[in-house]
Amino acid sequence: MSGAASYSLRRRLVWLLTGAVATIWLLSVLVVYQRAHHEADELLDAQLTQVADTLLAIVAGGEVDHFVQELHEHIRHDPVPIAFEIWHAKDGKAQRLMTSSGHTEFETGVTTGFSEHPHQGARWRFYAVQDIDAEYRVVVGQAHAARERLAREIGLSLLLPPALALPLMALVVWWGVGRSLRPVDGVARQVGMLDAQALTPLDESAQLPSEIAPLRAALNALIRRVTTAFENERHFAADAAHELRTPLAALKVQAQVALRAQTADSQRHALMQVIAGVERMTHLVEQLLTLARVDPANPGSAPALLDPADVIAAVCADLLPHAQRQAQSLVVEAAPGCVVLVTESWLRIALRNLVDNAQRYAGEGARIEVRLARNGSDCILTVADDGPGVAPALRSQLSARFVRGEVEAEGCGLGLSIVARIAALSHAQLELGDGLPRADGGHGFSVTLRFSAATSQV
Amino acid sequence: MRILLVEDDRMLGDGLQAGLTQAGYAVDWLRDGEAAVAALSTESFAAVVLDLGLPKRDGLSVLQWLRGRHDATPVLILTARDQLEDKVRGLDLGADDYVLKPFDLDEIAARLRALVRRAHGRPEPLLTLGEIELNPAARSVTRAGLSVELTPREFDLLHLLLQNADRVLTRRTLEEQLYTWNDAVDSNALEVHIHHLRKKLGNELIRTVRGVGYMASASAQA
Repeated sequence: MSGAASYSLRRRLVWLLTGAVATIWLLSVLVVYQRAHHEADELLDAQLTQVADTLLAIVAGGEVDHFVQELHEHIRHDPVPIAFEIWHAKDGKAQRLMTSSGHTEFETGVTTGFSEHPHQGARWRFYAVQDIDAEYRVVVGQAHAARERLAREIGLSLLLPPALALPLMALVVWWGVGRSLRPVDGVARQVGMLDAQALTPLDESAQLPSEIAPLRAALNALIRRVTTAFENERHFAADAAHELRTPLAALKVQAQVALRAQTADSQRHALMQVIAGVERMTHLVEQLLTLARVDPANPGSAPALLDPADVIAAVCADLLPHAQRQAQSLVVEAAPGCVVLVTESWLRIALRNLVDNAQRYAGEGARIEVRLARNGSDCILTVADDGPGVAPALRSQLSARFVRGEVEAEGCGLGLSIVARIAALSHAQLELGDGLPRADGGHGFSVTLRFSAATSQV
Repeated sequence: MRILLVEDDRMLGDGLQAGLTQAGYAVDWLRDGEAAVAALSTESFAAVVLDLGLPKRDGLSVLQWLRGRHDATPVLILTARDQLEDKVRGLDLGADDYVLKPFDLDEIAARLRALVRRAHGRPEPLLTLGEIELNPAARSVTRAGLSVELTPREFDLLHLLLQNADRVLTRRTLEEQLYTWNDAVDSNALEVHIHHLRKKLGNELIRTVRGVGYMASASAQA
C-alpha cells in the first residue's frame, strides 16, 4: 500500500465505471436534447400553422370579433405565446384589420409560409397565410427566445435525473468493488501469516471468485515448489552427513584392526583399506562439492554455443589412462557439426561422470563407447558400456542422490544425480537404457543426453 | 562364537570382519538382505550384526522377517541414521541394540558379548562351573583361581559349553557355532580341541555323550 507506483484498484474502478457511465449518459442526453429540440420546433411550427389556418377560416367566414377574441385568450396563455395580425386587401391596398393585443406591429413584407425576422429587437418566427382570393392574410409569430426556452427546459428535464444518479452510482460501485475485493484481503492476510520456515499451502477449500482463485492456485503451486526444493536441500544435507558416516566407520574400524593386527600382512591390508577409505571419502566430498557448484547462480555458468565433440575429446583423453589400467577400451565416435547451447564446464562434468560411472561399474576389460550423433533437431550424446547393465526397474531410482547400482563396485551414488541436475538445467533430456550387447546375449548400460541442436552453425 | 555380519559397504564389512575376528568371534559376512535371510533360515548364529541400508532387502525388513518366525537370535543394528524415530522403529521391530556409525570396534565387541549373555539369561558377565571361571570380555579362564592359557578356538569351545552347561550339544551345533563358512574344518578338529581342553581343565569337566555330542557339567566333576 506504499510507494509511488501503487494505486487503489477500487478507486480506479470507481473512476473508470463512473466516468464511462457519465460519458455515455452525456452523449445520449446530447442526442436526446437535439431530438427534443427538433421535435419542439416541429410541434411549435404545427401550432403556428394551425392557429393561422383557424384565424383565416374565421375572418374569411365573416365571424370575426367574438371568435378571434376567444382564440386570442387561448393562445396568449400558451407556454410560448403567439401574436398575430390579420390583413384585409381592399381595392388593391392592404390594411391591418386586427392585431393580437399587447404587441407592436409586425414588420411588413413577411412572406407567405415560414420565415424568421427581427421584431422588437429579437428574433421571431413567423407564418403567413392568405385565402385563395388574396383578400385576407393572416400572419402569426412567436419569439424565438421563448421557443428556445421551451426546448431547453425539455432538454434539462432529461439531464437532471442522470446528474443526480451519478454520485449515487459511484457510491454503489465503491461499495460493490470493495465488497468484491474482500477475498483479496483474505488471501493477503493468509499469505502474511505464512511462516517462512514452514510454508504451508493456503486453504483451498474456501470458495474464491474465479478471478482470485488462479492467484491462490499459483501461490500454492509456488509454495509447494519452494517447499519441495527446501525439503530436498534439507534432506540432501542430512543424506550427505549420513553418507559420510559409513566411510568414517570403515576408516575407524580399519585403523583399529591395523593397531591390533598380529601379523604384518593383516596390518598392511588394514592400512591399505584406510588409505582406500580416505580416497573414497575424498571422492565423495568432491562429488558433493560438484553437485553444489552446478548452480545457475554461480559465475561461469552462462551457456555458450559449442561443439560437444571438443569436450568429448578432452574428457576422454583425461580418462584414457584409467581405462587402460583396467584394460577397458574407450571408443569415441563424434560426428562433427553438432552445436548445442550449454555451459561448457557442466557438459565436461556430466561427461566425466558418465564415463567414470561406466569405468567403475562396467568392470575390467569392458568396452565403453562415447557417441555424439545428430538426429533431426537433436544432438544426442550417449555413453554406453557392455557391463552388467541395470535392471529397468532400478533405472528410475538411479538418478536419485546416494543410490548406487547393485553391483560390486565402489561409488558414492552421486554421479548420475549430478548428470541429471546438469541435464535439467541445460534443458537436455536424460535417458537411461540398454547399453552395448554382451557376449552372453545381455546388454550393458547406457546413458543418453538429448540436447536440442542450436540453429546457427559455428 | 559365531556372528553373522550383514553389511553392504565393502570396506566397513572387511574391517568389522577382521576386527571381530581379532576379538575372538567367528564372523560370516554377507552383503545383502536376501542373502542374510537365506543364511538365517538355515543356520544358527550367536548374534547378528545388521546394517540397515542394504541392497535387495533392507535391514529392518530382515529384522521383521527374523522376529516373524520367532527367532530370538540377538540382533545389533548398525546405522548411519541418528533420528530418534529410526532408533525407536528398529527397537520396536525387535532389535536388541543399536549402534550409530561411526563406532568403536571395542564397543561393538562389548555390546555383542552383553547381547549373547542376556540371550542366555545371565545378568553377570562371568561364566562359572565348579572351579572353572570364564570371563568373556577378557577372554580369560581360571581353574581354582589359577589362570589357564587357551587357544582362541579352545576358548570359544569352552565358552559354548559353559553357556549351555548341563545340556548336550551336538557335534553339528558346536561346529556351526565355532566355524565360519570360510574355515576349513578337519573332521576330527573338534575332538582334538576337546582333548586339549580336558588336558588343561581336567577330564571330568566335559562328558562325551556317545553318538550325540558333548556336555559340560559340574556334577560330572569328581
